[in-house]
Amino acid sequence: MDNNADLVVRTEHLTKHFGKLVAVDDLSLEVRKGEIFGFLGPNGAGKSTTVGMMLGLVAPTSGKVEIFGLDTQLHLPQILKRVGAMTESIGFYPYLSGENNLNYIARITGGISSTRIEKVLDLVELSGREKDKFSTYSLGMKQRLAIACSLLSDPEFIVLDEPTNGLDPAGVKEIRELIIKLGHEGKTIFLNSHLLHEVEQICERVAIIQHGKMITQGPVKDLMKKGDLLQLQVTEPEKAMAVLNNLDWIRSIVREDDKLFIDVNAERYAQISAVLAREDIFITEMRAKDNTLEDFFLEITEERTN
Amino acid sequence: MIDMIRAELFKLRKRSMTWILLIILATFFCLMFFATYGIISSPPDGMHGVAIDEIKASLQFPGVFNTIFSTAGTIGTLLMIILGASSIGNEYGWGSIRQVLTRRGIRYHFVISKLVSLIIVAFIGLLISVVIGSILALITSNLLGSVNWDSITASLIREQLANFGWTLFALLPYILMATFFAFLGRSAIAGIGGGLGFYFIESIAVSLLGQAGGWLSKIPDYLIGPNVTAIMPPSPFSQGMLPSAGTSLSTLHATLTLTVYCIVFLTASLYMFKKRDITA
Repeated sequence: MDNNADLVVRTEHLTKHFGKLVAVDDLSLEVRKGEIFGFLGPNGAGKSTTVGMMLGLVAPTSGKVEIFGLDTQLHLPQILKRVGAMTESIGFYPYLSGENNLNYIARITGGISSTRIEKVLDLVELSGREKDKFSTYSLGMKQRLAIACSLLSDPEFIVLDEPTNGLDPAGVKEIRELIIKLGHEGKTIFLNSHLLHEVEQICERVAIIQHGKMITQGPVKDLMKKGDLLQLQVTEPEKAMAVLNNLDWIRSIVREDDKLFIDVNAERYAQISAVLAREDIFITEMRAKDNTLEDFFLEITEERTN
Repeated sequence: MIDMIRAELFKLRKRSMTWILLIILATFFCLMFFATYGIISSPPDGMHGVAIDEIKASLQFPGVFNTIFSTAGTIGTLLMIILGASSIGNEYGWGSIRQVLTRRGIRYHFVISKLVSLIIVAFIGLLISVVIGSILALITSNLLGSVNWDSITASLIREQLANFGWTLFALLPYILMATFFAFLGRSAIAGIGGGLGFYFIESIAVSLLGQAGGWLSKIPDYLIGPNVTAIMPPSPFSQGMLPSAGTSLSTLHATLTLTVYCIVFLTASLYMFKKRDITA
């Protein structure tokens, strides 16, 4: 099977300059059909600019974006018919009701029935408040309306830029479940979020960018494995440090009081125990430190900053 | 494209600003008619009989049509600058422009649908002006004597249809200018400021340049205001409101000059909107 046929998004050496500022620098990434893809990066990393280039709001300085195999610079109208997008800053008409905002979007999109509007309002739990003016909505309700809007045309590919901003924990959970449900329905989702815990739970693959450059991308599980740490509490930490530092298969050791944090592959744990025992150093506590995507993200972005 | 124009009209209909501007238009008409009637009912000292008769004629059929169109042209220009600029500028302010562009992807559809819907609103506004003006003229005509129904002939109606068209055309350069400034500044304030600023500064410039000699005195012939004056029906009420001069300009010259302004503003708006990034 042709791998390209499976790709929904492909950016190739995508670059955007705003004057002297390089917002996105030679970014190449791929999003496959049916996957929930997390796009991460610190504030100002170039995430929203990348989303803007995907949706035709921002013109690339060089490189290109292909969605469904079509160049966005050449075939944007055909592409957008199959895309639902929620951009970072929610843009609706304050003097229209939530329902009329969706009515307006439905009119300019074409082919959307009033039943579909009702359905998406119901899906994001705005039914009952749909007649109220958008200006009276809370931030969470505005966020829900934006999500409803992105689902209006039942698109194959959905771009969600910070969809859980302003939601309470229950709302965050609902949106998380909704995204997972959409993923199960075979939708391809591009999730731009700074809530790493959410991304970790929802996404199959992630890309991390910083200063416009891709730092890493891959399956969430693999990325989290990269940063496995062994936490040891020993009787003689200083001596243990000296012994372990001589082992070339240990990547790094950090000491905090009587605890040692050792960056090592999990299959070496038993060997560490044996080496220390031979030196009469006894382990009082040994456990693999649970690494989260957040730990990995902070580690990798701080490394780059330093 | 048709669905986008309909969607724009749907928004304009639901927007309270459109209705407020319409109320301002109606109120302006009422104030102007009744204030003028008040003046001729008890004329100030020194006002001659000829001047009074001229003003009386402008409040009665058939002369009232000139009053209606020149008044609608003047106040309509100001109101359409405000509506046009906010129609574009607020899309940036509210961020709704991103919502629209991520649906269609064809940017000129957005610009054209906005402009067509604004022209439709201007058309409706002008129609309402004619209706309100005619009702007010019936009242003032009765107050001043009686309505001369014999003056309403087929040729008068044809002439007024032409005046309707010219007045609508006269609004176009200002609508396009206000939308151009709104696109340029990505805000309603820029559009309103730019449009109204140009309108008033041009009036002053035309007066000053009119006093100058040589080639300087020819400049007003190529500005918007004098050319608008040249195609608009004359009225005693337009004095001091529309930029003076222009009465010597031919209709052809005025039409061509205003068309050039329309093309320049439209092309500049389309080009700028197509080339620019839409960022947060």
